[in-house]
Amino acid sequence: MYGCTGRCLRVNLSAGKHSIEDINPELLRKFLGGRGLGVKVYSDEVDPKTDPLGPENKLIFVSGPLVGTGAITGASCNVVTKSALSGTIACAKTRGHFGAELKFAGFDMIIVEGKAESPVILSILDDKISLQPALESWGRTTSETEAVFKKNLADKWAARDTYLISIGPAGEKLVPLANIVNDSFLSVGGAGIGAVMGSKNLKAIAIKGSHSLAIADSARFVRVVTNLINKLNSAPLTSHSMSAWGSAFFIDLCYQKGMLPHKNFQGAAFTELTELKDIGTKALSNAFAMRSSGCFACPIACLKKTEVNNPFFKGKGMAPTYWAIGALGLNCGVSDLSTIGMANMICAEMGLDPIAAGGTVATAMELVEKGIADRDTLKLELRFGQGEDLLHALTLMATKKGHAKRIGKGGQALAGEHGTSKSFMGVKGLPMAPFDPRSIQGMGLHFATCNFGPHHLYAYTFIEEVLGVHEKSDPLSTDGKPELVKRYQDLAAVLDSLGLCNWPLMGVKFNNIVPMINSCLGTDYKADDLMKIGERIWNLEKLFNMKVGFDHTHDTLPGRFLNEPITDGPAKGQISKLDEMLPGYYELRGWNEKGEPRGDTLQALGLKR
Amino acid sequence: MPRIKIDHNKCTGCRHCEIACSINHSGVANPRRARIRVFQEGNVFFPVIAGPFVDAACTSKLDIKIGDQVYDMCLLCRASCPQKPFFIEAETGFPLKCDFCGIPPNPSCVRWCNSGALELIDD
Repeated sequence: MYGCTGRCLRVNLSAGKHSIEDINPELLRKFLGGRGLGVKVYSDEVDPKTDPLGPENKLIFVSGPLVGTGAITGASCNVVTKSALSGTIACAKTRGHFGAELKFAGFDMIIVEGKAESPVILSILDDKISLQPALESWGRTTSETEAVFKKNLADKWAARDTYLISIGPAGEKLVPLANIVNDSFLSVGGAGIGAVMGSKNLKAIAIKGSHSLAIADSARFVRVVTNLINKLNSAPLTSHSMSAWGSAFFIDLCYQKGMLPHKNFQGAAFTELTELKDIGTKALSNAFAMRSSGCFACPIACLKKTEVNNPFFKGKGMAPTYWAIGALGLNCGVSDLSTIGMANMICAEMGLDPIAAGGTVATAMELVEKGIADRDTLKLELRFGQGEDLLHALTLMATKKGHAKRIGKGGQALAGEHGTSKSFMGVKGLPMAPFDPRSIQGMGLHFATCNFGPHHLYAYTFIEEVLGVHEKSDPLSTDGKPELVKRYQDLAAVLDSLGLCNWPLMGVKFNNIVPMINSCLGTDYKADDLMKIGERIWNLEKLFNMKVGFDHTHDTLPGRFLNEPITDGPAKGQISKLDEMLPGYYELRGWNEKGEPRGDTLQALGLKR
Repeated sequence: MPRIKIDHNKCTGCRHCEIACSINHSGVANPRRARIRVFQEGNVFFPVIAGPFVDAACTSKLDIKIGDQVYDMCLLCRASCPQKPFFIEAETGFPLKCDFCGIPPNPSCVRWCNSGALELIDD
């Protein structure tokens, strides 16, 4: 078997035992690996109605077949479980080096079951698999957890090759907004999984290995990869913009197109409210000394590490990305980059999801602004545009200290408690990623229909709608959007399953990547075959969500986007034309008008209801 | 004489060079079998290319000062030595040494390094 290791580690925390199993090659053929394999195994083994925080729930870490082989951007490990925030299936993608190290340790997949009696760390160091007590690191932040674990390793050279994935205090306290952090500063995308790991009393997984990964045709593979690196190097977005500022360079573009949210999506961030010189790339370069850092085998290197030293927070972390500036900053009315940077680092240290935490704070701030809630009912001062309020709320939310328990439950629960669920800007219980769906229609359709809640990474239509890399598509028009969204949703499923990142699509076409896949795995896929697999994965996730109880009534956007036009900026007067696009999307997917896959669709994909 | 110039200020720590090296020399992807390794110290990455084999650890322990940071000499040392478990083929115990992938042009690690940290120069 090429690329894959073909082995799976199953750890039962209740019994404190582990076993090593072989992965059925048939599953790898049908679902590629990574996200596809994880979702398949999860939906086969776990009852959809299970309590996400119960011991019956499982947590799956699965690396795609291209991870660690040297395929460009082949770095991500997918975390599959049921989200504690939304109740849908959740699939989050780690970056950095953890995914590749999992492969070198000799495993494609780790399945975590049950619940440990007391906090433990799963350590897989050079084929020695053990559960170690996590007393010393329990309650600590993610970077401290890593430091403590490595300090306790006898061999200081081994510590250099060890990579950790861990939860912060937020995950330990079962805050639904929590997520998992790897390599001590990289939040994996997607909220609601940190609490699942916390509910299992699993503080961290430490991994190091020295197994080899076989490559089918290494001479051809080297040629193809060299070619792709050169292509990425000659494309302006991947060689310059992403390398210089990471995703934060989208801010300038989105600002010009009126896509940035402002004050819980009440308006678009624009001139009179915020000036580009405060939040744009120039300001970012001035505010942070940024050092490029790449995920495993990534020629783009969009991660920007930086250091912060002030009373609220001191330490190393990541300079704010687009999502942090949008969700934690502008959506809460904060446009001071150093505050946003600090908020982002607090999220990574505490193990909170920046998008979900930002969306929740913004919801609370709107309740306060409208007079529905106040300082006394929330037991917390929350005003739009006040950086200290934001930082204070984040810290309290993560540690469940003070009276921040209530807002830690998430924006939907909070708005529901005050009887104004329309103040919550999110879909399926998850807060929106910081794109205003009124000014980017395709992304709006994706947000409404995504199996994981409104998260941009599962269909990066931004590449066509705003960047216009391969084909120009007007973000305000609905023409061809169902096709675009379906294509990108399937494509993201394929890339996640292989373990690749979305960013190479900014420089090369998917067709250019296919030879890399084939030469590495020894397969003979055409682009269309892979897209079919992507569609199969998407439908499988949909089926799981249907069993949980999600139907077409959940495929919608908050009323604000459908009824209230944008009040200012270049996209003034726009609303989301979701109703125009949704029937076409269902038709294209082969689903009935209730958004359920039709029998013949499932049969063609080889799935069963 | 051609040699590989390392600029640790440009290195992003993606370890693509390790994989390039191991594929070129052993046909499989495995950083532990590579003749170049990237070590991290704080936010800075140091690519280290395997140098000559020594059969005993040296006695001169030095600290290297770069800017205002002090680094352990042992970390940056290129030798394949009994003191540290790098640049040794795990299965056979043979020491590894960079051979420039035969004859230049570009050794495989330089070819795959997109950050500009590795560069082949002739002086």
